[in-house]
Amino acid sequence: MKLMMNCREATNLTLQELDRSLSWRERLGVRMHRLICPPCLKFSRQAQLMRESMGRWKQYSERD
Amino acid sequence: MTEFTSELERLRPQLMRFANLQLKNAAWAEDAVSETLLAALERPQSFAGQSQLKTWLIGILKHKLIDQLRRHSREISTSTEDDQADLDDLLFAADGHWRTEPQDWGDPEHSLRQVEFFKVLEICVEQLPGLQGRLFMMREWLELETDEICKQLDISSTNLWVMLHRARLRLRECLQQSWFSGTQV
Repeated sequence: MKLMMNCREATNLTLQELDRSLSWRERLGVRMHRLICPPCLKFSRQAQLMRESMGRWKQYSERD
Repeated sequence: MTEFTSELERLRPQLMRFANLQLKNAAWAEDAVSETLLAALERPQSFAGQSQLKTWLIGILKHKLIDQLRRHSREISTSTEDDQADLDDLLFAADGHWRTEPQDWGDPEHSLRQVEFFKVLEICVEQLPGLQGRLFMMREWLELETDEICKQLDISSTNLWVMLHRARLRLRECLQQSWFSGTQV
C-alpha cells in the first residue's frame, strides 16, 4: 500500500480500525493523512463518538 | 402471579425492544424473549444475589438472540432487503476527496450527557437496513468479534466489512441530520 492515501481510503481504514487492528503501515498512513487533512481528522472523531455513544447507550438502557 | 412473574412481565416490553433492534423480525424477537422469560422462570435461584433483574435478563436475552441469529442465518445472510446504494460514491469525488466535508460534532460529552441524544441514536440504529442493522448490532451491542459474526451467520469477512462500513456511514448521516444539524449542539 502506498503511504499517501486519499480521503476515501483513509475513511475506510478509520472505520475498519473499529473492528480490527490496522497493520503498522496502515496506521502510519492514516495518521499521516490526518495530519494534513482536517476533514478526515473530524471524521475520525465522529467515528470515535459513534463507538463511545453505543457504549453509553448500552449502559444507560440496560440499567434497571 | 408471584411477584417475580409480574416483575418479568413488566420488563417484557423492554426486552422486546432490544430483541427487535437486533433481529428486525417480530416473530423471532417474540421467540427469543419468550425463551428468555422461560429460562428465568425455570431457574429463579440463579438470580438470587444479583441486584439488577433487568441486567440479568438482558444477559440471558443476548444468548437467546445469538441462538435465533444462528437458527435463521440462511435467511439473514441472503436477505435482499439491503440497499445497494454505495454511500462512498455520494461522499467522495472520483479523485477520492470529500464532496462535502465532515462537520465538527463538538464536545462528545455535550451530546453523551443528554437523554434525547440516545433516543435519536436508537432511532438511527433502528433505521439501518436489514443485514447492515443486524451486523452492526451484533458488533456494537452483542460485542461479538468479527470472525465470530462470520462464523455464526456463515458470511464472508469481505461481506461483513462492506456491510459494517455502510452501516456506520449511514448511522453517521442519520446522526448528522437528526442531531448535529439541530439546535442541540
